[in-house]
Amino acid sequence: MTMLRIGARNLWRSKLRLVLVATLIGAPFFLLLVMQSIGDAVQRQTEALKQNVNNTLQLRARGSMGHVNMVGNEDILPQDALARVKRAEHVARVEPYLLAMTPTEGHNFAMIVGVDPKDTRRLESHGEAGNPKILFGRDLTDEDRGKRTAIVGQGVARWAGIKPEDVGRATLTLDLKRTHPVIFALDRPPVTLTIVGIYASGYVFGDMQLFMPIDTFRDVYGMTEGISWLYVRVDSAENLPAVERQLRAMLGDVADIISPTTVAEFQTTATAAVQRLANGGIGLSAALMVVVVFFVMLLVVRERAWEIGTLKALGASNSGIVAGFLTEAVLLCALGALTAAILFGLWGGPLAQLVFGLGVSPFLPSHYSTLANSLSLSPQFSAATLGILIGACLFAALAGSAWGIRQIVRLSPMEAIRHE
Amino acid sequence: MNDRAANGVQAPVVQLQALTKVYRKGAQEVRALDGIDLRIESPGMVAVVGPSGSGKSSLLHMIGAMDRPTSGEVVVAGRYLAALGDAELTGFRRKTVGFVFQSFNLIPNLTALENVMLPMEFNGVDKSERGRRALGLLDRMDLAARATHRPGELSGGEQQRVAIARALANDPPLVLADEPTGNLDSKTGQVIYELLEEIARERTVVVVTHAEPLAQRAKHVIHIQDGHLAP
Repeated sequence: MTMLRIGARNLWRSKLRLVLVATLIGAPFFLLLVMQSIGDAVQRQTEALKQNVNNTLQLRARGSMGHVNMVGNEDILPQDALARVKRAEHVARVEPYLLAMTPTEGHNFAMIVGVDPKDTRRLESHGEAGNPKILFGRDLTDEDRGKRTAIVGQGVARWAGIKPEDVGRATLTLDLKRTHPVIFALDRPPVTLTIVGIYASGYVFGDMQLFMPIDTFRDVYGMTEGISWLYVRVDSAENLPAVERQLRAMLGDVADIISPTTVAEFQTTATAAVQRLANGGIGLSAALMVVVVFFVMLLVVRERAWEIGTLKALGASNSGIVAGFLTEAVLLCALGALTAAILFGLWGGPLAQLVFGLGVSPFLPSHYSTLANSLSLSPQFSAATLGILIGACLFAALAGSAWGIRQIVRLSPMEAIRHE
Repeated sequence: MNDRAANGVQAPVVQLQALTKVYRKGAQEVRALDGIDLRIESPGMVAVVGPSGSGKSSLLHMIGAMDRPTSGEVVVAGRYLAALGDAELTGFRRKTVGFVFQSFNLIPNLTALENVMLPMEFNGVDKSERGRRALGLLDRMDLAARATHRPGELSGGEQQRVAIARALANDPPLVLADEPTGNLDSKTGQVIYELLEEIARERTVVVVTHAEPLAQRAKHVIHIQDGHLAP
């Protein structure tokens, strides 16, 4: 206990030196925090992509777009595909869709989508975009199942003359007998749907869609069974290839399986590269910390050799003297870490951006050059950050003091006293 | 104490037999001590004199277990030092020997009181007892008023008196003083020497000194030259 107290007191012997050393040790700690924040931001980005976007496979009937009234593309998946896909390992969620087309103005058309109200409203050709924003009215709910209600994109609303203030009362009639160069007529009666919401997707084609409950779609189009598209979300992007293999074995003869390449590409290029660089930076920071602590403790041991000898002569044990020096080293590192944490809190975000731009971006493929803009590189102090700081403190103090400790243990009291 | 024999027969507090210490300086071999035989009885002051490099300090360090001899036997207070491991030597220094150094060697960021308490802390003396005894020793050195001062705030003579108080902290049977007046003016040196003489009434004090007049006041004077005891 005495030696720990002496070690703690030794810290304050020279305030100028303390400031200098805390700054020197703080610099690699700061770099470590910056690199960790970059690594974390990329990791978060990847996790978000894994969860929301790119861990999804799309299944369609083989060689068909799966639109029930599209010329040459009317083949759909058999109904039992749904149950079979659900049984596959690592499948987190399966969302069945039914699709049709309806002519609008000139040679244009709108997409008619049947979807379970609790599933994602995916937009054709931008399936990854997910639920579009409801501008007016409301989204489909469980209570809409079986009812003749729908939501439409703002393009469809404009074509149908549906005004925002009329949402909830406005109707849209689908004439299934109307044709188009790519749409054939269905011998079904026209159906009138109540429009309960208008959405915006952010792009023209996305706004030309109508979503209705899937069982309403079956009723309207007379499709008692079958599925146009199946969206299969895998529990993690890592398992995507395995699930794809399973599904190909299971349904390869009847289904096309569209696998997103972006996640694999992102993971194998950007994420992996950034993580490697961030880990390299963390390793470099840790090495720098050890080097700084090593030199500081070497100087301290040399400067206080006579003190070490005196303490030994007075009957202090080696372990006690070592504990005193380690206390000093750990406190020095803790002060360095505190300095770094304060600087990181103040300027960590912009500096992380700068480090990313100068030190990471050049190593990424050119199409990821704007990645920094999409990353959240603001300083974040989490329990993990605290853990890293404490771990780095202890590691740097122990590793950096190892040589000094060896000297302390090795020297006899007389050698230590004469060492000055 | 275990160094005093029963039945009034004084056992030697220090006994050296054929003590040799060889240092290596690169390829060169320096025989600092060369077959020293010595017996020091307790109590009293013993002065070790000799020219620079004669082996005075080496002799003191061997007696105080500050270093191990190359060969020969060192018995202090009835303990054969060669048989002791490092941890036992630490315990031996803690309990049996008090050191007084030429440069005082006080721990700079501790007060005078804390410096005196330090050996007692290593020896496991409880806090209140440490404080009481340390204050008593400082009072004996006429330094009670300076107890809360750090070494940098004390004069050379005051620092050496604190160092003597520290050497007495665990009430050792043997005090070893290496040139205790070497860094002091003659008047202050005289005071320190008188203090050591007073201490030597109750225990053995071995003093290494250059000052022949001071040495002549000791009970025994040992002359050493080129690592040998001179007649």
